[in-house]
Amino acid sequence: MAIREMEDLVQKGLERAVEMMALSAHNSIRFEGRNTIKMITVGNEEMESIAEFCFSLGDMSPLAARDGRHLIELIKEPCSLLIIGDKRRSYFNYDCGACGYRTCAELNRAETTESLTAHGPSCQFRNINMNIAASAAASIAWRLGLHCRVFSTFGFAALALEIIEDVDLVVSVSVSAAKKDPYFDRHKFWTQEYWEEIFNKEFPTYNRGFIGAVEE
Amino acid sequence: MSMERSIKQFETDRMDAVKIAARLLLASATTAPRVGGVGECTVHILDDECDIEDLCQKVEKMSNDNEKWGFFRRDAEMLRDADSVLLITSLRSKTDPADINCNMCGKLTCEYLREAEELPDEPGVAYPGPLCIFRANNIAYAVDGMVSLARNLGIDYGIFWSAGAAAMRMGLLPKNTGFALAVGISITEKSPFRDIPLKYDEFNEKTMHDRIIRRLWPQFRSIYS
Repeated sequence: MAIREMEDLVQKGLERAVEMMALSAHNSIRFEGRNTIKMITVGNEEMESIAEFCFSLGDMSPLAARDGRHLIELIKEPCSLLIIGDKRRSYFNYDCGACGYRTCAELNRAETTESLTAHGPSCQFRNINMNIAASAAASIAWRLGLHCRVFSTFGFAALALEIIEDVDLVVSVSVSAAKKDPYFDRHKFWTQEYWEEIFNKEFPTYNRGFIGAVEE
Repeated sequence: MSMERSIKQFETDRMDAVKIAARLLLASATTAPRVGGVGECTVHILDDECDIEDLCQKVEKMSNDNEKWGFFRRDAEMLRDADSVLLITSLRSKTDPADINCNMCGKLTCEYLREAEELPDEPGVAYPGPLCIFRANNIAYAVDGMVSLARNLGIDYGIFWSAGAAAMRMGLLPKNTGFALAVGISITEKSPFRDIPLKYDEFNEKTMHDRIIRRLWPQFRSIYS
């Protein structure tokens, strides 16, 4: 019997797992039972450009910058990114008002507002359907024992870079087969001093006494 | 109607199973991911059949409030057969936008969303928006958490926005609720949420039982006795 190396097994398994996640997202429950989502996975090259884009937003969004730095680390080990998108207009005819328009027809007539993150205004129920699909994909990843986290930032970047086309709303599910869970407790991105500086800036009263004096 | 002791026991145990399952589903919905890890969803359980009936009556009444809501009558009929109804809310979508300027609402920035004119709180509007869609999307994860566990437990479920909106109107949910959905669960041999014929509000198990058994059988019995 031919011997297969661990790297090969893990990589192939990951590819298979992402297909299963896509299948689960494709068949997830949804309002009106109609599947309108669009789904792609991207390779390391696209992930690199997504990471660079996120990192370049540093001044505007520290969160995106953190995620960008994180993604650069992530692609050093086997990982994949499932990007799920959908259009903004409603086909539900619910006239529920959640979008701020009295009827679905009014929402559909409203002028599209384009931005780097999403094109609005969008139907609340389409958003719910798309995010249920993302959750279904993530739940399969969880059951298969993959490291997994849902990222809006990578989705936004994929939309801005036109990696996923013909959609208005995007969310992404990132999975990894790294040796250590890379998604939570990402302390390595900060030094202790930097962390303290930001903490003191964001929560200035935390280290103060009752009358507001700074305790040295 | 008389029932064998062992069958009565089965009924009691079945209802106990509903109570346990509803609470497990609450757990799964609560621990499902939230955007940015910020808590904003609550889950409320209705497992008293009188409470469920009140909710269904409200859903039925709401069907007249908007010409597009005719299907609310069908939803109410399905929910009457639910053993328990779980209501999931989004508490920040109306009052506390996510401050990430995602533009899903189409207002470009969260500041503009705060300033946007709200739809009036009137009968024909279920959720007076515009809501912070990024926040309200958390409900999708909570619902999927619930559905995912319900499937594992082998419990029948149905998702209804009509009952979520009705519960908001009845004041059953926290006052800041901007968006709410309902998940009905049932532990019965035939799911009440599948195979729904047309005009279900007129022709369903209850009306059929009422017409065929409760109305015809006593007459048959008195004539042929």
